[in-house]
Amino acid sequence: MATIIGGIGTSHAPSIAHAYDKNLREDAAWKPLFDGYEPAKSWLKETAPDLIIMIYNDHMNRFFFDAYPTIALGVGDVHEIADEGWGKRNFPALKGDAEFGWHLARSLVADEFDPTICQEITIDHGILSILPLLCDTPWPAPIIPVAVNVIQHPVPTARRCYKLGQAIRHAVELYDRDIRVAIIGTGGMSHQLHGKRFGFMNEEWDNEFLDTLEVNPEKLTALSHDDYMERGGAESVEMIMWLTMRGALTDKVNRVHRHYYAPFLTGFGLIVLGCTDTPGHTQ
Amino acid sequence: MSRYPVDSGGNRDIPDTFVFTGERSRQGYRLNKFAMSLTNPDNREAFRANEDAYMDRYHLSENEKAMLRARDWDALIRHGGNVYIMVKVAGTLGVTLLAMGAQMRGQSLDAFMATRPGASARVRKD
Repeated sequence: MATIIGGIGTSHAPSIAHAYDKNLREDAAWKPLFDGYEPAKSWLKETAPDLIIMIYNDHMNRFFFDAYPTIALGVGDVHEIADEGWGKRNFPALKGDAEFGWHLARSLVADEFDPTICQEITIDHGILSILPLLCDTPWPAPIIPVAVNVIQHPVPTARRCYKLGQAIRHAVELYDRDIRVAIIGTGGMSHQLHGKRFGFMNEEWDNEFLDTLEVNPEKLTALSHDDYMERGGAESVEMIMWLTMRGALTDKVNRVHRHYYAPFLTGFGLIVLGCTDTPGHTQ
Repeated sequence: MSRYPVDSGGNRDIPDTFVFTGERSRQGYRLNKFAMSLTNPDNREAFRANEDAYMDRYHLSENEKAMLRARDWDALIRHGGNVYIMVKVAGTLGVTLLAMGAQMRGQSLDAFMATRPGASARVRKD
């Protein structure tokens, strides 16, 4: 049986990719962000998961509104990098895992989740903006992308995202190979990218979310999309994808790391949570 | 009261916020489809070479073309343009997200950046 060893919740943003590609690692405005990811990167390196499941959203780089899936699952053995409108970033394609991917598809459908099953799924900044901050290339483990619609309403409820995480945990436990799995949920914390409210950030709410996600995630599943958008800006509804990560973990978790930095347009949040049923975890 | 067990977003009036509802996606469909095409480098080149001819390929209305010629990001969003797709237009034209945002707020880029907590660190560096 496979096990989930822990999870990471993290913002994603094109600006992180830009800062990385322009080598702003030591820039005074960006250094706190990059430094903040080091403990998460160390955790991933030390725990060395065999597989990483990533919950994210596609920003109309693989999917368009002609047919925009509510939940999409990448089951291929390779995931290409998307051109988001300014050229592909210079990274190798991600490794996938078709065997686990199809297992996850079967298990999710048996649990009454019905993802769009994708044998090709190009990857955008929802994953690639933060992946190089979490690990070096060559990519250390295969990645199973799970894309959630958090852009075109109606989007799935916060509770549905949490339950998706529980179903992913169930699938991992049903897998007959003895592998160790990490789960990463990405999504911008407070931000709004349009209208007069462009640039809206809410540091207090973002940190309340991080507090609550760790100890009482059910409370966050009761909030409506309008609650999220009112508190954090319209585009911050992406935060519900962190709940999928949290739903896949044990009820009680061991916080390994937490970081928050809000310099320009959004709160960059990061949390690393270990499962308390993982052998060798520290209380 | 809602007919639905749980409401999706866009039911509450949040000031200065245009939630990307199905209604907005429907209204902006043609505009967004045009902008989505700019994920292809050949299309970006064609758009830059002759904006009007490229917009005509996607049968944009006169109103839509006028908003694009004016780089009027606020109007494009109100019309149903999705901001994540509009940034592909902006990127093709060399306009940054920060510049789009300052314009939507009715500010100069410098005035907007002065409101950002990270700007002071950046100024020190530069």
